[in-house]
Amino acid sequence: MKKYRMCMIPAYPLENVQILKDRVILPYVCYRQFGESLTLITKPAGDYPYLTYLPGANLVFLPAEEAHMEAAIRYVAAHYNEIDLLFLFSSRGSYADLARTYKSLRPDGIIYLKLDANIDWANALPLSHKPFANFLRDCDIISCEARRLQAFLYKKWRRPVEYIPNGVYLPLYPEAADVRYEEKENMILTVGRLGTAQKNTLLLLYAYALAFVELKTPWDLVLIGSTTPEFQADHEEFCRKFPSIAPHVHVTGIIEDKQTLYQYYRKAKIFALPSRLEGGSPNVFSEAAVFGCTVITTGVDAADDMTDCGRVGRICADAEDIEGFSKELLALCRDSDYLARNFHDMRAYIRECFDYERLAGRLRLLIDLQALKNNARMEQDYEAVYN
Amino acid sequence: MKLSTTDTSVILEEDALSLTLSEKPAFPDYTNVTARPQIVYYYKEEETVWERYCLCVQRLGESCPDDPFLGCYALLLRQLYPLLLSSSQPKNVIAYGMPTDGVAQIYQDLMTFLQKDSALTVLGPSPFAFTAAAEGSCHALLYCLDASPLLTAVCDAIEKVRPGGIFLLYTAKGTLPAAFSALCAQAETDNFSSCTVFRFSVNDALLTFAGENGTTAYVSSYAEKIFAALDDLRNLLRKMTADPSLAADGFTYAALLLQQTEENLLALYDYLENDALPILTNRLKEGVLDLAAAAGNGFDTAAYREKLTQSSEEFFTALEKEFL
Repeated sequence: MKKYRMCMIPAYPLENVQILKDRVILPYVCYRQFGESLTLITKPAGDYPYLTYLPGANLVFLPAEEAHMEAAIRYVAAHYNEIDLLFLFSSRGSYADLARTYKSLRPDGIIYLKLDANIDWANALPLSHKPFANFLRDCDIISCEARRLQAFLYKKWRRPVEYIPNGVYLPLYPEAADVRYEEKENMILTVGRLGTAQKNTLLLLYAYALAFVELKTPWDLVLIGSTTPEFQADHEEFCRKFPSIAPHVHVTGIIEDKQTLYQYYRKAKIFALPSRLEGGSPNVFSEAAVFGCTVITTGVDAADDMTDCGRVGRICADAEDIEGFSKELLALCRDSDYLARNFHDMRAYIRECFDYERLAGRLRLLIDLQALKNNARMEQDYEAVYN
Repeated sequence: MKLSTTDTSVILEEDALSLTLSEKPAFPDYTNVTARPQIVYYYKEEETVWERYCLCVQRLGESCPDDPFLGCYALLLRQLYPLLLSSSQPKNVIAYGMPTDGVAQIYQDLMTFLQKDSALTVLGPSPFAFTAAAEGSCHALLYCLDASPLLTAVCDAIEKVRPGGIFLLYTAKGTLPAAFSALCAQAETDNFSSCTVFRFSVNDALLTFAGENGTTAYVSSYAEKIFAALDDLRNLLRKMTADPSLAADGFTYAALLLQQTEENLLALYDYLENDALPILTNRLKEGVLDLAAAAGNGFDTAAYREKLTQSSEEFFTALEKEFL
């Protein structure tokens, strides 16, 4: 079996929190399964304590005085011989020169682009801009994170685009192995950048309030993550307006310690995702799902994927419909049988479809096929020149 | 570029270059041949054919003096002129890639002057526009190569011209795409500056070439490639769903066949009734890869086999519905 020397280059400097997200985790799992080495190339952007979770991954810093992408191109030009598989993340035109440099030096090498896009973003990509079109052509394998987006891209780009969702690397969650439904509490959880336009946290806050008054037993709402000043003000106003509900709403701030965060996933029965937009399924969804939380989401691109079309979760399509979201939330809170049953179904579903080790297995075969193809193309070119 | 007329000639000029497009013919006495419609109008309008031709040329020069296609339009008119005069039969002419105002109106004016039922139909700038016309339905077809430089579309267009008619392919780019060299070797070339008109007399040889290189042949060749892989694919899928311990090469071969099928279907994308076929193929490939990975890593394969069976049925049903 061929082992690849892998390299991951982000479009802009890598931060510590991104070390445990899809842009690094997927290349890392590939490295564990079929890699000889994995090098992460970045300009330094603070400390990287999360790197300890990824033994074997090698972090190489680009010179701080140079622009990130220029330095990355220089790195590729100097080390192309040590890179068999180049991971790129996000469909950014700034990658165009880097991809061209690599492919011109290593026509047999493979570029894998993980799109990290939603339909609106993908629809705005400048396909008629030649350097960008050439960049897409230079990418041997492109994957997106949602089936709805995949179908859209087939119609728009007319090229194969694989479906590789944002998954979960189970060895990072040993705590999830022995989680039991009986440990769970009446808790609704969300994790993200609270109050940003994208995360749409107010929808959840007010939908929860509407559901709360209908519930016989109280449910708590736990909101974890950084908060915008606007959201802090909104939350204070919410507490003034609804003093009887306020004690049940817990805004924790950022929780950097993973073990503490996992305790919340462990306790929560429901994970809520009120986002207006997501590039595929968010990483926090997979984390919640692995702990057996039932997900309720707005109609983001990956809504059907996250809920298996409504089987293991609920979708409220309109991200502005507070009443609709509240109704679904209320129905879920009242259906304890479904929540108990879905605890197992969700965990089985996430292992079957979102387990990075299985997804990397799929990717490995795709990469092997591409390697065969690239070699055959090189042989043809060689014959055309010398025969 | 400039068009000018004298009492006896029509001239196309650019800088030091000059080309006499037409010279006034010595018309025979048609006084007794009133059955020829253009002669009837000739007297009624009190304007000779030559005068009207010159008028059209002047209007052409005035309506698009800076148009890079002006030379093409003048050369086309010169090529069309004998055909329009050739008989009293109304002429059906199709133009592809030509603006609907200005030039087309000037051509139509001359055609109506010569025979009131003659028609110029301008097709929209899409290679699918030819599906609107029947085969052998026009006397002449004017095709702007710069609007759609696809050999398949050009061949489709040729098939719309009746045998004995003319097919005029024009370009203002000065260079010809490589794919057209074999075809254009069969043409008479008329050019001025960067404008070129390739004139084809539509005959059996040309129609055979068009038939072999048009959309129908294109679709058939890809459909053949798709169907050539189907038996192998069906067998492999049957074996792997029954026994996933199949050698890894079997999975690789199946995935390779599906990848090729996906690419072939994408090549046919414009012609598919069910445009979800390429993505159904991708799903099936995904099923094969997932089963291969699960079997290779010792995971339980039951769910993957079930999914593969389901996506396989979906794929074959859709494919048969599309092509059989």
